[in-house]
Amino acid sequence: MRKFYRISATLFLLLVTVGWSWAQYTVTGTVTDERTGEPLIGATVLVRNSTRGAITDLDGGFSIGIDGNQQAVLVISSLGYVSKNVNVSPGSDAIQVTLAQDATNLEEVVITGLASNIKRSNLANAVSTVSADELVGTTNIQTTDGALYGKIAGANIKMNSGAPGGGVSIQLRGISTLTGASQPLIILDGVYINNSFQRTGRATVSGAGASNQDDGANRLADLNPNDIESIEVLKGPSAAAIYGTRANAGVIIITTKRGASGKTRVSLSQDIGFAEPLRLLGVDDWSEEKINFFFPEARRPLELERFRAAQASNTFIDYEDYFYNNRAILSNTRLTISGGNDKTNFFVSGNFADEDGTVRNTGFQRTSIRANIDHKITESIRLGVSSNYIRTDTDRGFTGNQNNSGASIGYNIAYVPNYYDLRRNADGTYPINPYFSENPVAVTDLGTNNSLVNRFVQAFTLDADLYKSSNSILKLQLGGGLDFLQNTTLVHLPESLQFQRGQANPGDVLWGKQESFNTNIQAVLLYNWNLGRVNMNSQAGLVRLDFNNNDLFNRGRGLAPGQINLQQATVQEINQQFFSEVQEAGVFLQQEANFEDKIIGTVGIRWDKSTLNGDPNKFFAFPRASVAFNLANFDFWGSKSTFSALKPRIAYGETAGPVAFGATFTPLGGTNIGGLLGSVVSTQIGNTQILPETASELEFGIDAGFLNNRIGLEATYYIKNTQNNIQNLTLAPSTGVNSTPSNEAELENKGVELALFGSIVEKPNFRWNTRLMYWHNRLNMKRLGIPTYISGGFGSALGTFLYAEGFSPTTIVGTPADPSNPGGFTIWGNAQPRYNMSWVNNFTFAKHFEFSFLMEYRHRGDNVNLSAFLTDSGGTTNGWFDDDNGDGIPNGRQRPPEPYNNAGRWVQDATFLKIREIGLYYTIPRNTLNQAFGNSVENIRLGASMNNAFLFTKYEGYDPETSTFGAQAVANNVDITPYPTPRRVFFHVTIDF
Amino acid sequence: MKKIKKYLSIAVLAAISLFACNPLQLDEIDDPNNPSVASVSNNASREQIQFLLTGLESRHRGYVTNISQAWNTFGREIWYLNGSDPRFQTDWLGQNGRTPDNAYFGFGVTGGGSWAFPYQAIKQADVLIEASLSASTLSDADRRAVAGFGKTIKGFQFMIPANWVYQNGIRVDVADPLNPGGFVSYEDALDFIKTVLDDGDQDLTAAGAGDFPFRLTRGFDGFNTNAALKQVNRAITARLNAYRKDWQGVLTALDASFMDLSGNLNAGPAHPYGAAPDIFNPLFYVRDAVVTTMIVVHPSMLEDATPNDQRVANKFYERTAPPVTVSTDAGTLVGTHQDNRWASNTASIPFIRNEELILLKAEAHANLGQTTDAVAAINIIRNAAGIGNYTGATSQDALIDEILYQRRYSLWAEPWGHRWIDARRYDKLNEIPTSFDGGAIFPQFPHPQAELNWDSYIGN
Repeated sequence: MRKFYRISATLFLLLVTVGWSWAQYTVTGTVTDERTGEPLIGATVLVRNSTRGAITDLDGGFSIGIDGNQQAVLVISSLGYVSKNVNVSPGSDAIQVTLAQDATNLEEVVITGLASNIKRSNLANAVSTVSADELVGTTNIQTTDGALYGKIAGANIKMNSGAPGGGVSIQLRGISTLTGASQPLIILDGVYINNSFQRTGRATVSGAGASNQDDGANRLADLNPNDIESIEVLKGPSAAAIYGTRANAGVIIITTKRGASGKTRVSLSQDIGFAEPLRLLGVDDWSEEKINFFFPEARRPLELERFRAAQASNTFIDYEDYFYNNRAILSNTRLTISGGNDKTNFFVSGNFADEDGTVRNTGFQRTSIRANIDHKITESIRLGVSSNYIRTDTDRGFTGNQNNSGASIGYNIAYVPNYYDLRRNADGTYPINPYFSENPVAVTDLGTNNSLVNRFVQAFTLDADLYKSSNSILKLQLGGGLDFLQNTTLVHLPESLQFQRGQANPGDVLWGKQESFNTNIQAVLLYNWNLGRVNMNSQAGLVRLDFNNNDLFNRGRGLAPGQINLQQATVQEINQQFFSEVQEAGVFLQQEANFEDKIIGTVGIRWDKSTLNGDPNKFFAFPRASVAFNLANFDFWGSKSTFSALKPRIAYGETAGPVAFGATFTPLGGTNIGGLLGSVVSTQIGNTQILPETASELEFGIDAGFLNNRIGLEATYYIKNTQNNIQNLTLAPSTGVNSTPSNEAELENKGVELALFGSIVEKPNFRWNTRLMYWHNRLNMKRLGIPTYISGGFGSALGTFLYAEGFSPTTIVGTPADPSNPGGFTIWGNAQPRYNMSWVNNFTFAKHFEFSFLMEYRHRGDNVNLSAFLTDSGGTTNGWFDDDNGDGIPNGRQRPPEPYNNAGRWVQDATFLKIREIGLYYTIPRNTLNQAFGNSVENIRLGASMNNAFLFTKYEGYDPETSTFGAQAVANNVDITPYPTPRRVFFHVTIDF
Repeated sequence: MKKIKKYLSIAVLAAISLFACNPLQLDEIDDPNNPSVASVSNNASREQIQFLLTGLESRHRGYVTNISQAWNTFGREIWYLNGSDPRFQTDWLGQNGRTPDNAYFGFGVTGGGSWAFPYQAIKQADVLIEASLSASTLSDADRRAVAGFGKTIKGFQFMIPANWVYQNGIRVDVADPLNPGGFVSYEDALDFIKTVLDDGDQDLTAAGAGDFPFRLTRGFDGFNTNAALKQVNRAITARLNAYRKDWQGVLTALDASFMDLSGNLNAGPAHPYGAAPDIFNPLFYVRDAVVTTMIVVHPSMLEDATPNDQRVANKFYERTAPPVTVSTDAGTLVGTHQDNRWASNTASIPFIRNEELILLKAEAHANLGQTTDAVAAINIIRNAAGIGNYTGATSQDALIDEILYQRRYSLWAEPWGHRWIDARRYDKLNEIPTSFDGGAIFPQFPHPQAELNWDSYIGN
């Protein structure tokens, strides 16, 4: 019956169209901004239910021919404005249309899938969009992920340290995996780009341990944030299901700017500024009394002598200030040229960012060149290419964890009293540090920790209209691209250093070369057609992904003086060689139906297979379904002026997270002993049955609009359940093997996301836009499947994490033992925040001024502050020798809670309020410009801004956002003497020609 | 319309050529970095057996770092001062009431070098022996030689977890990773190890005279014949029998071992070390290095030393640089003397020496009441150390005390924790001094958490 209806409706429509196709009339009009009355250039005028359209000219005028002689509906829209429908008929006069600024962004088109996009007002998911202006309009932010901070409800974005060049973790809607980092998939113009935290080798040379303590940057740092047009964030499986296997932690879709036909626009921007530490803690002063308490008797005379000498010459050195409190110069230069004609559009940009760090000899330089070109081969075949070459040169210095080598400023100076002078001698040598194994001044001056990335990202799209009728269109979309990334890393501690001189082979150099090559390609057939009053969008497609890595690290010890070439080393070692290769393929089908913007429904399914899985040929299915009801668009609604929109929505979807490479292998490792090669049985047994981690999410919510959509409200609740979570089943180590990956665990994330936004004031001379967001996530281990265990951090005495059913794996436990708890230790805290809030404000006033600020508040969420553990050991914590409880034992030796000196003392509330961005801009009036430069300069914008302007917290560290282990799902809140977060202050000038 | 057709056909052709190689077809991806364990399980080549055997030598030295640092700290032969992690002091010395738990610092949930590593060596030996059985290029004699070597190492390695957890007992049935046997008592474990070593001894006998048929590292220089490996096997058995208090068994084993009363006291098989791709001797520290991490001589070793003891002069180096000083919340420890045994960072570390065998002979005789023989053996050691013949009391208690004292200096800081084990054997843990650090002496360790987890996982 339904089929019959469909066929007859199609036939009917066909007849109608054909029958009247000979008649035509013309409508003219102008489009202006409702608030300012200025003409809107480039607004789109479309005849509804047809493929006919026009664009407004420089005066906002348009003229459009309409087939037939019936009434028609014109849909008038412009980017950033609320679109309007206007009824016209053959006798209509020239029409005047005023468009209101889209304070609630309901009109923006949101990318929701591999080949689909939808108007925000029709969206059935809470997809967050961040526009170029929101991203970098307030201030200059080094990296794209850092620029997203506080702009997405449901995203827990965190800087791992303040080192220049990035290192940001993004967790969307809690965590979806226990073993990986739970970082979202990132797609740049259709290319699956590498956002891994690559090894730098610092932790190897400094002795800190595994590469997760390198404090490396994630490679999204390579992307110039100013090239970005918009970012869409699909936060969970219900929105991201069509991305299948890699979408468990969400998907971030980045679209770069493209050219538009018209005059060629040249824009030159220069930001210049400085950075200084956001927060320092101060170091403790010493007294003879403290020396007598702190040092053993035999050592006291020497220490007292040093102390008195310092007193005599008044040379006390605040090492924190000495190392961290340096003013760093920041510069960012950008040139963009864009334009085009009917057939070809282009956007070309160059960016040179050069930022010093607040620690001497650290810094970040990024050179990026981009060319985005679109060309119409014919009216129906369009080619788009986006090419981006990037060179990123980062020096991140020596901070964080270390072992024995002393190659960490903060770790080292935790032990150095302020009366001992470690600064460089006049003869160029460095004093021996008698309090630790190294002189950190020498490490800072002479050591190298560099990463040099050369990267090329190429994307392409080819759209072909295969068939077009007046109300249906069949398109083929081919798309894909490649991401080639080469990272050359160098960590060098020269032979002259104190610790190196104490080694059998002084001088240590570790060279790394990591290459990754990702390619992806997809082909989609899209058919847009009408079924009666229902607009249908059908898709079928396939996807192919390939990921290759090739890493080689070489180490040389015992260096010829001043040399870093490996061949100048006494002991030359292949530190690591690693290859990986992953192939994935998928097919998908999706059907969207839109009933007059009143009811919008989508169903879809994707099937994926991957060589990472136990069975590489098995397809796993990921279905989705969603529906949204735009109640205000129904006839019963009545007036829309006060309560202008109400949209209940519900969505369900499933996705997966990939298995780690190698989980199926049981290898024989290579080992060398006494000149012979040995094969050793691995301590991990591969699991050839391993399944991908899967997640299902049910999301529902209500979006509402008030006062002609000047004010909007979005409320979302989600339940995300994961299954088959991979964790290592620890085998009895007495069997000689330690673990095998298992698919047992299940996690539950439940949360709320609220956003209230809109335009509070709309006067010709004053406009105030605001967005207030609240979100929280509750994580629970619904099923563990293997025995309760503790893991992460530095063991139970220093705070570790509990993996037990009914608990969140972010639960921090530690000594003293408490057998009544699962896992056997005292529960001290939880890393997960209770809730986050952020508030974005934008004011335009006196016509030419714009002021914006962004603040974020995080409530609770505990850190494990081991920086304090170190400074307490070294007697340098500010206030160490105070004695709060008056029992004669100073605070530094007796930290509450009682019983003293257990793990609980390092677990600290990391609540904070950050004023993340502040910016003030002035656009020079057109008249003034014309007087000064004639017509040669189109626009000049001046501004001043701050990034990480202020921090308010009781947390006793440089920044409550910190992770010595980089980005990982759990244990990403351990504080070990990180690089202090900088406050960055900028002055801006942009000139458009 | 013609144009559209043309472009349509171009698009279709492009699509076909693009996907000529089926994009849904995935290649089979093998481990690009390593061979698989399965590759040796069926008819391994002689080279593969050689690689597994060398792998066993590598696994065999896995325990050295952890035991040298930790057990020798427990027995106060050394302090492992570590400026970067105070827990090497506070936790290992049992300061401020700290006692070992199932995931203690330095051992983790798997027991690390004191538990997981020795069991990995045992696993390696099992895989080696298993692979040799199906390797058609090996003769029967080859197979017996491989089995004899593997079991000798296994016997040695089993003693490590046994001594670490002592009365808590260990697993000895560990061949099937998914179905390990239960824990057996310390005494039963030692008896089991005896059977492993005896089997190995018989295998080496059956392997016949001549060279060991595979290549051993220089650590086995002088011991790379089947007969010499038998002597190593018996030396290890002598140590085991002392733990079993089978004193006659000690003497019997010593007779078949490489013990040489007039020979070099340092003779014995060793773990080799070297520059990359090998690993450096983990106990080597540069003299007078101005660092804050170092193994230092425990003050009681200096305080209790006999004047002119050559062992003190040879093994301990008094720093001319400032002492190594490390502060923790339990106070500050100062190390004035370094370990002087290693000429370089490529020096081999012996795992059983002639000197120990002679001391075992003395101990066995003393326990059997054979005073003269005991004193004779003691005197070999004393004279080698330059402190003259024994002149003290010859009661059994006095002789045992003397032997334990000589063992402290002769076997100081060897990768075995001799003093900790010896004091426990004779119920003298309370004689280990804690006055220098205010800590406590641990009698033994609990089972690692991962073992408990496994039992709870399978419902035991």
